[in-house]
Amino acid sequence: MLKIDNLHVRVAGKEILKGLALQVNAGEVHAIMGPNGAGKSTLGNVLAGRDGYELTQGSVSYNGTDLLELAPEQRAAAGVFLAFQYPVEIPGVNNTYFLKAALNAQRKYRGEAELDSMQFLKAVREKLRVLHISDDLMNRAVNAGFSGGEKKRNEIFQMALLQPQLAILDETDSGLDIDALKMVADGVNAMRDPKRAFIVITHYQRLLDYIVPDFVHVMVDGRIVESGDKSLALKLEEHGYAWIAERKLVGAA
Amino acid sequence: MRGLPSASWLALPEMDAVLDKEAWRYSERAWNALHAQEFTAANTSALLPVSLVEQFDWPETRARRIVLVNGHPHSEDDLVAVAKFRLTDGRLADGECLHLVFVNAPGPNAARWGHDLALTLEHGSAEIIEQHIGINGADVLGQVTSHMRVSTGAHLRVTALSDLPDSVSLYHREKVSIGASGAYSSTLALFGGRLQRFDIDVDMAGEQANYVSRGVFAPRGRQHIDVHLDARHSARDTRSDVLWRGVADQRGRGILHGAITVAAGADGADARLQTKNLLLSPHAEIDAQPVLEIYADEVKASHGATVGQLDERALFYLRSRGVPLAAARSLLISGFCREAFDGVADAESRARIEALLAERLPQAGETA
Repeated sequence: MLKIDNLHVRVAGKEILKGLALQVNAGEVHAIMGPNGAGKSTLGNVLAGRDGYELTQGSVSYNGTDLLELAPEQRAAAGVFLAFQYPVEIPGVNNTYFLKAALNAQRKYRGEAELDSMQFLKAVREKLRVLHISDDLMNRAVNAGFSGGEKKRNEIFQMALLQPQLAILDETDSGLDIDALKMVADGVNAMRDPKRAFIVITHYQRLLDYIVPDFVHVMVDGRIVESGDKSLALKLEEHGYAWIAERKLVGAA
Repeated sequence: MRGLPSASWLALPEMDAVLDKEAWRYSERAWNALHAQEFTAANTSALLPVSLVEQFDWPETRARRIVLVNGHPHSEDDLVAVAKFRLTDGRLADGECLHLVFVNAPGPNAARWGHDLALTLEHGSAEIIEQHIGINGADVLGQVTSHMRVSTGAHLRVTALSDLPDSVSLYHREKVSIGASGAYSSTLALFGGRLQRFDIDVDMAGEQANYVSRGVFAPRGRQHIDVHLDARHSARDTRSDVLWRGVADQRGRGILHGAITVAAGADGADARLQTKNLLLSPHAEIDAQPVLEIYADEVKASHGATVGQLDERALFYLRSRGVPLAAARSLLISGFCREAFDGVADAESRARIEALLAERLPQAGETA
């Protein structure tokens, strides 16, 4: 589904990703862990199409097409979803209106029939229930005045509604208490599907107790330095990121 | 002209305001350029095209609507209504809702007209919807002078919807006095026109008088919209809440001067003024000028003014969910403006403003 090859990306003249490689197949859950500044969020933003990232080398292929050629909205319509680390507050723009516009724009792009208000609200209600989100959140402005936990749950709710093929969760666990974390994990687990893949970017092992990954990658200084199964996350938790750095030095010697 | 109050379209007001250089700092040139033309008195018997009538012919206000073409009653009915409501020295009844339509109709040459309004609300609540529209053509300059008095405990709501073609200018002067525990809520949506200038002068004269001003202006092309707001807290425990949004596109020019004065003795006053403005083009300009002068004690006052551009993060957020760039821009612009009307209780006014916003706000792609 996704093949990232030798990806080099600069931000404001500074190289952040330095030859990152990653392959994600349908049905898989990949966790990407790493210390601050490793480039984890940059990877998420580059995949979703945010401006200000300069690709200097490498490629990203998504279902056989060059993902980086597409505008953010085209990527969304093609099934890419980024749950933001810091969801943006947009006062004055109604949540329901925004999501209906988003969903219908995606459907239109894919040549599917647009949903009318009734169909849309039905879809919304179902998803809200699963994520324990109250209806009134839908009548408010996008993320405006939401608590940290509400914002993160809103991201997962949007994901549930938009049904992406490739979902990237950028530190969705940060700032969540244990109940909210479980709700988020339930939301994600309910969507696990042989046709869908997840990239879960996180700092801590804790989230991976609830969203159990098929693969764990450790990212340091702009590239993936170690990959393994879920036990790698536990080792990291035990030894810290310094352990990885040391092992790399030993390996290099 | 029997029954018609002193119609000031005959005796045009002097154009002396521009002598106050400071108050006209940003609009003096625009005013002088307009004024350089030879104005004649506007034709008052112009026929109205259907497309124009559709803009104001709302079933719910038909019975209480007065249409003034270039300042003059349009039909026999309008003439009767002007006399009945005594627009220049009348009293508003409790529960009254007046819909005043000021139509600007061009003649062969530049023309101007004027109209006075002077109304008092003694008790209860009343609403005035003031609409300014027009037909494109030779320049028309309309001048409206409005004096409103809100007595003790009364509540007056005024909604001004100005949606003018590029050849029409409007100079609107409003003086309002609010009595004890009285409230004046004003909502303005200003679009289009060659030059629109609003002088808004509100005196919270009685204790616990309450003034709420909500507005949006959105000049584009070479339009010029200047709002000069002066709110004065003259008595104890008075409240003012001024919240405006401006959006300028292309070579549009917007000015919001918001001055709040808390006079000596007006202790316990609560004054809030906030204006946020959005520039959609490198050639657009908005000047936001908040001024706060306080001469009393135990006053709560806050003011803020910003001028900025569309939030790139918000734009990316919307696009990342699948909303195309053009639609995402429109959504952000209208959302930005809609913020000013949060809490405007009256659903009908809201719906009218939203319709205007949808129609008149810059759509994406036009700014290139």
